[in-house]
Amino acid sequence: MPAKTITVNLKVWRQPAKDQPGRMVDYVAKDISTDMSFLEMLDVVNEDLIRKGEDAIAFDSDCREGICGACGCVINGIPHGPDAGATTCQLHMRRFTDGQTITVEPWRAKSFPVLKDLTVDRSAFDRIIASGGYISAGIGGAQDANSILIPRSIAEEAMDSAACIGCGACVAACKNAAAHLFTGAKITHLALLPQGAPERALRVVRMVGQMEAEGFGACSNEGECEAVCPKLIPISNIAKLVREYTRAWWRGTT
Amino acid sequence: MSSITTKLIIGATGVLLFAYLILHVIGNALIFFGPDLFNSYAHMLLSNPLVVPIEIGLVVVFLIHLVKAITMTFQNQAARPAKYAKKVAAGGTSQKSLASSTMILSGLALLIFIPIHVKMFKYGPEYPYGASDVRDLYRLEVENFTSPLVVGLYAMVMVVVGMHLWHGVASSFQSLGISGPRFTPLIRKVGKVSAIGIAGGFIVIAVWVFLFGARS
Ligand code: FES
Repeated sequence: MPAKTITVNLKVWRQPAKDQPGRMVDYVAKDISTDMSFLEMLDVVNEDLIRKGEDAIAFDSDCREGICGACGCVINGIPHGPDAGATTCQLHMRRFTDGQTITVEPWRAKSFPVLKDLTVDRSAFDRIIASGGYISAGIGGAQDANSILIPRSIAEEAMDSAACIGCGACVAACKNAAAHLFTGAKITHLALLPQGAPERALRVVRMVGQMEAEGFGACSNEGECEAVCPKLIPISNIAKLVREYTRAWWRGTT
Repeated sequence: MSSITTKLIIGATGVLLFAYLILHVIGNALIFFGPDLFNSYAHMLLSNPLVVPIEIGLVVVFLIHLVKAITMTFQNQAARPAKYAKKVAAGGTSQKSLASSTMILSGLALLIFIPIHVKMFKYGPEYPYGASDVRDLYRLEVENFTSPLVVGLYAMVMVVVGMHLWHGVASSFQSLGISGPRFTPLIRKVGKVSAIGIAGGFIVIAVWVFLFGARS
């Protein structure tokens, strides 16, 4: 199929630096190939801005193949745009029509301060992970396959939760800017596996404690997070987080 | 207190209030069987020594649900100080609805309604039923529902109750961590069916009393 070209009208959040006022600015992206990704379209707009001597729109990206979690903006009111199970870098311009107006905004949450334009500081997620999202048992060298028996269904479930790339879309989508899906996915992943067992209770207490300290909101069970998650992680991970937290309390860990 | 504990408390009190509403609508439905049965059922409840502790418990559960929800709403608003210029529902598997977006408003509307409701019924005029010491609540209900304005306002409030349950029932179980590949789709259906059943039940009863109550 030959590539079509379209022209779209952008409304982009421009903010020169952290804690400075920002505003929505209009741009016209002309002759955009529908085979381009959303970020490639922004690259084209930026090349144009640079040629004109203006400040390019800052946005994060790295792998551009939907696996690293670096990219992400709210596109026409939905984190990562209209496609389910896709990151911003995996969204293609064929999803838009010629002449369409597209709003582009950064993730908005107190815990994710805007650094510049569409880039936000997601180090709150790093601090949640650092508070307990790991195993500290020395496990030696790589073991033979199947020396630790894990039923396939459990391994699959743990893998589904481990698929989280930490992009932050869940927080961006949630009306309360809650980080329960992110934290729940990490907790579920490690709670299901034998390697995670020794620190199971302490981990959930510490990670939830850090999540609260970062100023994220509380979960209202709407499931907007699940709907925008590029890895389709379901809110059953949040129910698991509750169960793990309750279990830790029961055992006197909280 | 962590947001998980808060949600456990709101969920647990929510489930209790849901259970109470089921009993309430079933009790009200006895009005279809005439004043004898309705009044003797009410008498059985009122003469039970457990009624006062249960009533106090209900008020406490309601207040905990309310206070926790209000404080959580303020915390949640603080978590997003800057609003989006454009934000829409994500669709797909999301459970977001008008009901889920207005839980605090529907809850606060009930906070206004409940004292009026209790004043009209529980603390309304005490009519004796015949010569007995049984209270004629049937008559009170008929009198309360003689005005079309009252019936109309009551029906509107019941729609609000239904909306709160539409999201609240399934949400309570999720908040308690009760979830599963079979259970979750089931409780979401049960929540919506009971929202319609409970709100619809109260409305049908009120309208029936308005239309036919005085005749029997
Ligand atoms: S740039 Fe890596 S997921 Fe989009």
